Parts: sequence; C-alpha cells; structure tokens
Amino acid sequence: MNIYSYVLRRLLYTIPVLLGVCLIIFVLFNLVAPDPAFILLGKHATQIQIDQLHHELGLDRSFIVQYFDIVKSSFTFDFGYSWATKQNIYEMIKNGAGPSLSITGPLFIISNIVAISLALLVAFYRGKLIDKVMLIVSIGGMSIPSLAVVLFGQYYFGYKLGWFEISGYERGFPGFVPYVILPVILYTFISFGADTRFYRTVILDEVYQDYVRTARSKGLNEMVIMFKHVLKNSMIPILTNIIIQIPTLILGLLFAESFFSIPGLGSMTINAINNSDFPVIKAMTILSALGFMLFGIITDVAYTMVDPRMRLK
Amino acid sequence: MKMRNIFLLVISSIMLVSGCAKKRDANERVLNLVSPAEIKGFDPIQADDLYSGREISKIYEGLLQYHWLKIPYELIPNLAEAMPEVSKDGLTYTFKILKGVKFQDDAAFPGGKGREIEASDFVYSVKRLADAKTVSTGWWVLDGKIKGLNEWRDRNAKLPTTNYDEDVVGLKAVDKYTLQFTLAKINPQFIYSLAMPFTYVVAKEVVAKYGKEFINHPVGTGPYSLPSFDQSKQITYTKNPTFREKFYPKEASPQLQHLLGDAGKKLPLVDKIVVHIIKEDQPRWLKFNKGEVDITGIPKDNFATAIKDNKLSEELVKKGIVLEITPGLDVTYTAFNMENKLFHNKKLRQAMYAAFDNKKDNALFYNNTAFPAQSVIPPGVSGNDPKYINPFKGPNLDLAKKLLAEAGYPGGVGLPELKYDIPDSTTSRQGGEFFQKQMDQIGVKIKIVTSPWPEFQAKVKKKAVEIYGLAWMADYPDAENFLQLFYGPNKSPGANGSNYDNPEFNKQFEDAVSMQDSPARTAKYEKLNKFLAEEVVSLFGLHRQSYTLEQGWLKNYHNSDFSHDYVQYLNIDNAKKAELLKNF
Repeated sequence: MNIYSYVLRRLLYTIPVLLGVCLIIFVLFNLVAPDPAFILLGKHATQIQIDQLHHELGLDRSFIVQYFDIVKSSFTFDFGYSWATKQNIYEMIKNGAGPSLSITGPLFIISNIVAISLALLVAFYRGKLIDKVMLIVSIGGMSIPSLAVVLFGQYYFGYKLGWFEISGYERGFPGFVPYVILPVILYTFISFGADTRFYRTVILDEVYQDYVRTARSKGLNEMVIMFKHVLKNSMIPILTNIIIQIPTLILGLLFAESFFSIPGLGSMTINAINNSDFPVIKAMTILSALGFMLFGIITDVAYTMVDPRMRLK
Repeated sequence: MKMRNIFLLVISSIMLVSGCAKKRDANERVLNLVSPAEIKGFDPIQADDLYSGREISKIYEGLLQYHWLKIPYELIPNLAEAMPEVSKDGLTYTFKILKGVKFQDDAAFPGGKGREIEASDFVYSVKRLADAKTVSTGWWVLDGKIKGLNEWRDRNAKLPTTNYDEDVVGLKAVDKYTLQFTLAKINPQFIYSLAMPFTYVVAKEVVAKYGKEFINHPVGTGPYSLPSFDQSKQITYTKNPTFREKFYPKEASPQLQHLLGDAGKKLPLVDKIVVHIIKEDQPRWLKFNKGEVDITGIPKDNFATAIKDNKLSEELVKKGIVLEITPGLDVTYTAFNMENKLFHNKKLRQAMYAAFDNKKDNALFYNNTAFPAQSVIPPGVSGNDPKYINPFKGPNLDLAKKLLAEAGYPGGVGLPELKYDIPDSTTSRQGGEFFQKQMDQIGVKIKIVTSPWPEFQAKVKKKAVEIYGLAWMADYPDAENFLQLFYGPNKSPGANGSNYDNPEFNKQFEDAVSMQDSPARTAKYEKLNKFLAEEVVSLFGLHRQSYTLEQGWLKNYHNSDFSHDYVQYLNIDNAKKAELLKNF
C-alpha cells in the first residue's frame, strides 16, 4: 500500500478513537468526579454562589451540549481557560512545553544512547564479568524506588557536594541548563536498568543469527558486526520502545518536575488534578491520546524504513 | 584521546554555561523567598489562599493595612489618608484617600504612564469583587454588608454584561478623593475586609485592556512590580520606580522594639525579590540550608534534627540562623455532621471528647509545639479566656465511659460504627488511625474513609460525612471569624461544615457581632466560646504555633498572620551574608 494512503487511513481512524476519548473524559468528569465548584469557591461558598459558578462554567447546560463542547475543543485545540488559574490553556501549554522538553529531551537522547550502547557492550561480552556487573547494576537501578534516587541525588550531589542546583528553573538558554543537569543524570540512572536489560535481550536474539556467524567467518571487525549489522536488525523493537516514549516527553515528568520545581506540563497536570481543573485535565488527556495515536502511525511508517521486509497494509 | 577531549569539552561547556547563568550584581539587595504552593495568578479578587495573597500584596494595595510592628494586630491607613470617619449610627464609613498615589506604569494608560488613583477606582474594584460574572472567591467578605450591593450583584448576574455605571446606594465616590461606604446593618468586622487582598484597588483601564489575561498582568500601586506572570516556578519582582513616599514605622510594641533598626527609612528596602515555588519539603529545606532561601518553615521530617528542647540545633546556630516561634491564630477540630441525628446526643459528643488524648495528638503530629484548645477561639483573640478549662477535654477515660453510658451506649453497645472521613495523605491516614484507636478505648467503633482532597471537600460541602477533621485559620483577628463556624445560616456549603444550627446560639451570635469592640462584646464572645466548648459541638484539638527559621542576614522579619504586604519592610545585610555564608 502507498505510504500516503496508509497514513491518511490511519489518520481517519483517529477520529472515532478521539470521539471515544472525549466520551470517557465526559463521563469521568461530569458524572463521576466531585463538583469542582466546592474547590474553586473555597471555604466560604454559598449555594447561590455555587449555582452562579455552575452557570459561568457552563455546567448547568445539557449533557449533550457539554459533550459536544469537549469534542469541539479536541478538534479545534481551543481548550479555553483554566478554572483554577484563569489562564489561557493554550498559553499554559506553550509555557510548560519548553521546560518539560528541556528535561525530557536530553533525558530521552542520553538515556537511549547510554542504554543501547551498554546493551551492545554487554551483549558482546555476554556471560563475562562486565555482563554480570551490569546485570547487578541494572537490577539495582530497577529496584531502587525513583523517589529514593531523587532524594539521595538532590541531597548528596545538590546539597552536600554542591555540584548542581538543588531545584528551580530559569527560562531560556542558557539559564535553564544548571537546573536540568541533576534531574537528567538521576533519571538516566532510573531508566537505564530496564532499557538496557530489554535492549540486551533484543540484541542477543540477533547475535545468534546465521548472518552474524557468516559476517564473523568473513573476518569482519566485531564493532562493525555489532553496530552495522546486529543493531540495524534489532531496530524494530528498539524503535517501538523509543518512539512510544516521545508523547510522554511532551507531557513531562510528573514527579521530577514537582521535586525539581520545573514549571513544565507534568507539574501543571498534577496541579490541575489537585484543583479539579477540568479544562486543563481535558486538554492534557486529549493531547496525550493524540500524541500516542500520532506516534503509533510514525512507528509503523518507521518500521518500513528500517526493515524493507515490512509492508504497510 | 579523542573521546577524552570531547568529554572535557562537554564538561567545560556546561560549567561555562552554568557560570554565565549565575552572574549577579554583588551590591544588589535580593530577598529570596519560598512559596510551598502554586500561585493562582495576580487578580486580587481571586486571592483566596495565603500564598497567592502574599504575592498579590507585593504589587497591589488596599485602603488599610496591619501595622507591621504592633501586637495585638492594629489596623492603620495605607491608601487612605487616615482611619475612616464612622457615623454615629455605625453605618457610614467615610475615607479620604491619599493624593498623588499612582498606578504602576503600563501600556494600558495613555503614554504608558500610570495615572493617579481616585475614589472611583475603589468603587470599581469593590463592584468587580461583587460581580457574579467574575466568580470571585472573596465575595463572602462583603456579602450582605454594603447597602444595595447584593441587589446590584443579583440584578447584573441576570444580564448579559454587568453594568458598572449603575450606582450602588452604599458605595459612593463623593469626590475625587472621598470614598463612602454605607452598610446594610452594623458590622464592625467590615473594616477588616478593607485590609484584605480581595479589596485591593485595580485600574479599570488595565482590566479592560487585558480582559481575561488581566490575571497575568499585575498593575497596582504597591512597592514592587512584575511585568507579567507565566505560572513560572520562580517569580522575580523589582522595585516599583513610581512608588510613593512611604516609610518604615518608627513605633513598635515592646516585644518588637528590636526591629526598629530601619525606622524612618524609605520603603521598600530590598531591590529585588525572588520567590521560588517549591512544593516538596526536601528541596525547600536543602535550599534554605544552603543559604539560597532567606525564610522557611520547618518540614515535619526535619523538625527533630532542627529543634532540640525547643531550641535551634547547634549546627543551625553556627550558620547564624534564627528561630522564631509564634502562636498562630488557628484551631484544629474534629467536626460532627449535626444533620445526622445520632450526634444530637450531647453526652455522646462529650464522651468522645473525654476519650480523645489531646496530649498524644500534640506529641505525635505536632512535635509538642501546639497548645491545647479548650474551645474554638484561639489565644490572642478577644473572647478567649486563658483561664478557662473545658471540663470534657480528654484524656479522661473514666469520665468518657460514664458519659457514654449516660448517652445510652454503655461500652459502645448499640452504637453503630461511625465513619471518619479524611483526605488521602499519609499524615491524615495516621491521624485517622490515631482517632480510631482513641475511640476504641471506650468501645466507639470508627471506620476510616479516605478520599482525594477535592472529593473530601465536596463530601463536606454536600453534608455527606459523619465525622471529619479540619483546621481553621483566621481571616482577620476577630472572634466572629471563629464563632461563625457554628452559625446556622452558614451551614454547608458555607463555612459551618458541622451544620450546627442552634437558634439560641444564632441569636446570641448575631447580637455579639453587631457590637463595637468593647468589654461587653468580649464578655459576650467569651460566653459563646464557653457555650460551644461545653456543648462539644466539635472536638476542639489544638492551637498550632508557627516555627520559622530566618537567615542571620535577614533584617526586620517577624511572623504575622495578616500582614501579607510584609516584604516591603524586610532588609538584607549583604556584608553579613557574605560573612555568614562562609559557615555554610
């Protein structure tokens, strides 16, 4: 199938999925979640004020009108204003995306390079001391709760040794650089264990293939075999794992942003949940769903590029 | 070799970039503050939380303010020339406002130059607070107080756009500099609302220019300015260059005499304020310990290492850090939902109170830093009788068992399991389990119900709870603010979450709050306070104290419950800072 027709068909599929996402959001927030008026009006709210707020927020309109409001905003990307901060949600997302990406971008690149390189290394030296050491370190990295790593890292490297900023953020380059180094290092440590183990397994599946033996018998350099042949043929699962991380990059790191005071989308989402700020939660949910669908399509297209045996249907 | 060079290049680039980002003017006096909560924005009518109120008060101002160096709290004029002239019937308050005070420069004004404030700006600002379309969280401060304002609000709520030109009988700009409020009924507490951020003055043209984005474009008359706000984790304020001539106070209460070092100096004293928004305890604590923040509270988990025998640890003393302990005007309490007929049984409420070990509660959850509450009004507020001891306050298990039997449930037999609602935090869960254990001693069975904070609040407002714990912090230093928690007309969704509605109490309350401050009113407040105590309308727990740490280089700071505009009085001694930082 032509790549353009395939992409167009997949894009059309996103419409019913998006309508379904809107329905779930509507049911969760209009029928299950508590009335936001109690949070928004504070401790002195009266019933008259609650009714007036319902009217101002449009919560006294029929359910069908409210549902179509969500559908409309998911197609126009006009999410309106936050109920809690009274800010334009588009501006909030625009302001939050940069700080989130300033952590998740380097983290994504560094952690994947580290994990793939280490996986190649331990696959190459499988069963040797370095493989065993890396196994222990990886399992350790996976087992230690991320909270403990962050608390320790912040205390030891930020406070005790004074190498990095403890928390905070300055907008713009190079202002933000000192503030993102420590979270990037700590989260690389947190994520490398699981990724390395996964990539190692994937690479080892390839290492025992006939073509590797053939390459060796031809006298090819081991580095060339690992990086040019094995890595290329392991790319399908690696690519899937990498691309699926991309939407989460934009959404930010919920926990890290709060701990390192990064004004990103992760902390914005947490605040919205705590304040029953439905328009912000709605916007972030719709963007996440769209992100996952879009990158699903990109993954499928990317498969055909790395592996010519793959065909789009 | 090549790899090593690349590595060194990367490291040196990072160092260089970090260095560039950190250059500061050494002579500049910068105050570093911290906020443990997000700031909702810079619209005074939405300043319903302490932290947003503090930020807004750096830029906006009101007619009145609390004297920075007077305890008990004392209201003084701020944008008013003097305290108001009050008519003999106590209904009309006339203010002369200061001449020559200007709004900060902004593009909303002709030529970008801020104009002089006028009495009509206050009229507009009060109407904006009352406008139902602005959905202000502060309407309660004026609800039912100003003659004709509620009617104006209700009428305009039904119109597509609010008519700000329509006159309100009780709200008048008599001339350019004279403002007059006429109250619907006598209400001595009204004056406190004029020192609260909700009533700070805003300019009509700025609101019109920025519309919904007004919340991000603060333009006030205050000591500091902020070009725009973008929900950042770091807010940087600079001195307002057009701030009027305002000076540090020359008088102080005896206990604050030591803060008169800068008496008579022009305000504000520091050049720049940086507010770091840090929600988590550890980074906030570490930043203070590194000298990057000038004032902090002490996180629960660090209390034992920071404070020993109610004194600052040696390590912190060496750094020049100072501890300040201040009683807070608040009360913690466990409320009964009186809509549930079971709780109409007074003996049952008294039995539960007698069974609860308040001292253990203080030790476990407040590091023994709080005072036991005998009733709802905290010490330091007229109406609190320091000698009064609540006869039902626990722990007194014999009394509790006796009262429970008299209530008709000997040993708890026949009493259904009671639901205790808590928010789903670790501390709340621990508090719930502690309460459960205490009640179990007399046979009262408690089931803990946890909900996320928004749902917990919604349940209280919808009267869908049986028993729950809460704390109340004063909005202003008047007992009315505490007693109203049990005033019938304030039932949920109002502040009376206990839904207590006793006609006799309601009548006495109404009488007391309409009286001017006097020994007779204090006596009435005391009587009402004792009545609530012995009725055991709630299990009154503790009055908490605030433990604040300040860096040795910070000058003029003390803890105040109501002076949101305190930063203008603070000062930084840069030489001392450089010296003390050597110990960090």
